[in-house]
Amino acid sequence: MVLEITKVCKNFGGLSALTDVTFSINEGEIFGLIGPNGAGKTTMFNLITSMFTPTSGQITFKDEDITTMKSHNITEKGICRTFQNIRLFPEMSALENVMVGQHSRTRSGVLKSVFRTASQKKEEAKIKDIAEELLDFVGLSTFSDVTSENLAYGQQRRLEIARALASEPKVLLLDEPAAGMNETETSDLFDLIKKIQQKGITVLIIEHDMPLVMKLCDRIAVLNFGKKIAEGTPFEIQNHPEVIEAYLGKEEEDQYA
Amino acid sequence: MLAELINPYYLQVGCFILINIILGISVYITLSTGQLSLANAGFMGIGAYTSALLTIHFELPIIIGIIIGALVAALCGVLIGIPTLRLQGVYLAIVTLGFGEVIRVIFVNWESVTNGSVGISGIPHIGREILKTLQGFGFQPISIGLQNNQFIFLSIFILLLLITIFVIWFFRRQHQSRVGRAFAAIKLDEKAAESMGINITYYKVLAFAQGALVAGFAGAMYAHILAYISPADFAYHRAVEILIFVVFGGSEVIWGPIFGAFFLTLMPEVLRFISEYRYMIYGLIIIIMMAVRPQGLIDVPLLKALSKKGRKRGQKHGTGNHKSM
Repeated sequence: MVLEITKVCKNFGGLSALTDVTFSINEGEIFGLIGPNGAGKTTMFNLITSMFTPTSGQITFKDEDITTMKSHNITEKGICRTFQNIRLFPEMSALENVMVGQHSRTRSGVLKSVFRTASQKKEEAKIKDIAEELLDFVGLSTFSDVTSENLAYGQQRRLEIARALASEPKVLLLDEPAAGMNETETSDLFDLIKKIQQKGITVLIIEHDMPLVMKLCDRIAVLNFGKKIAEGTPFEIQNHPEVIEAYLGKEEEDQYA
Repeated sequence: MLAELINPYYLQVGCFILINIILGISVYITLSTGQLSLANAGFMGIGAYTSALLTIHFELPIIIGIIIGALVAALCGVLIGIPTLRLQGVYLAIVTLGFGEVIRVIFVNWESVTNGSVGISGIPHIGREILKTLQGFGFQPISIGLQNNQFIFLSIFILLLLITIFVIWFFRRQHQSRVGRAFAAIKLDEKAAESMGINITYYKVLAFAQGALVAGFAGAMYAHILAYISPADFAYHRAVEILIFVVFGGSEVIWGPIFGAFFLTLMPEVLRFISEYRYMIYGLIIIIMMAVRPQGLIDVPLLKALSKKGRKRGQKHGTGNHKSM
């Protein structure tokens, strides 16, 4: 059990975005989080990475309570995310974007940076090596000097994954990585995520592309209106009556229509 | 020969240019994390008054006074940086502007210490102190063909020039490092920066403190060069003047505020008749720049284009030379 979400609620004013959501993710698996629009999936990501704090409930990472921990500390612990609406650093090159990802794994402060001590130079070289390696890993090595805002959409998505991987996460949260991708790009993405899994990184993924989710995930949880309505293997989810209802509506309604 | 070339007036203008460059850089540092601070005139005042009072009343050496002045300003930077962390853009600008005014009002009203709006005179002069020290070692300016007066201004100018070069070097290096990348990431997208493991509280307060430190340092130097300060020196006008260096020159690269400070300090000196209309021209510059070139004259694409051209021609020219310093 690498990540455990226990009875998490989140209210925004009077609106409850999540109610009593509980699920846990095993080490090394690809876990899917699906549900209709507005079900609270991205809110869940924001809670795990502490961009919001839950109204109640607990989130533990490797038996450590991270519910109220600061965002940057959570990244340091080993949870890193990508964003649904891509949030790269637009004016930086692809390489620099990934180098920023290394921040929590490096130490040089102001004085070391300015006076370029031997350890700082070594660290800086290491940062660059790792960043180049990761760009290669996501298939962007030829674009390392390109300003990230000038990359194609699918490339930006992959760059965001590389940047998150640069923080050496144990759990990687992907928020709709296949959104806006064509079929070839999606199948490349499938391979990429499988490769990430092979590195021993646990993946939690939000995705609307059902064929991809079903093919990719080991287990899936389904959210609807802030509540978990099902959890299980892709096969179980596909045949779960409540899930079908959430996505397609009730059968009786179809008859009346 | 040398004596004819050295005109104290030119040197004094040179000193003001250098001080303004340092002030411009102080705004640039805070701005490189996306925080627009108008408090730097206030920080400058804190540095100036602290150093002036310490050297007058406690007879501390000037250098100690300047260091303490800069540190006190940095401390104030931390104190104002922390509560304003959540503010951005216009809101932060207004709060920092207000802070600057508060500082000025304190200088005016705390008469027992600051001498009120009359200001403090008789502040130990750096140039004279340097001359006195060197005379103690048996050095006379006349031996290198200079009048005492010329030597005083020359020594200040050289000292300031070295310091300015050090400040530029320091922040350029910082910019090209882990800290600089963290600053840039925060400026470009705070939320994304935070989820990449950057402690934004720390880096934003650090940038604020560094800006205040540099502004306080410039203020302390200013006090010991003019030997006279008054609250009016650190008022709203000064805040706008410092800001205009950055708006005009550019805030993306360190050469922006440097060029802005250089050009806008020199302009009223060269074109005497302009100096009366200075603030009118500043206003015009703000409006025109915001409409036409909000990033300032010098930005990253311009620098890249210039460095390419320079390499092609194999020679330096005009402003290109200045920037590749």
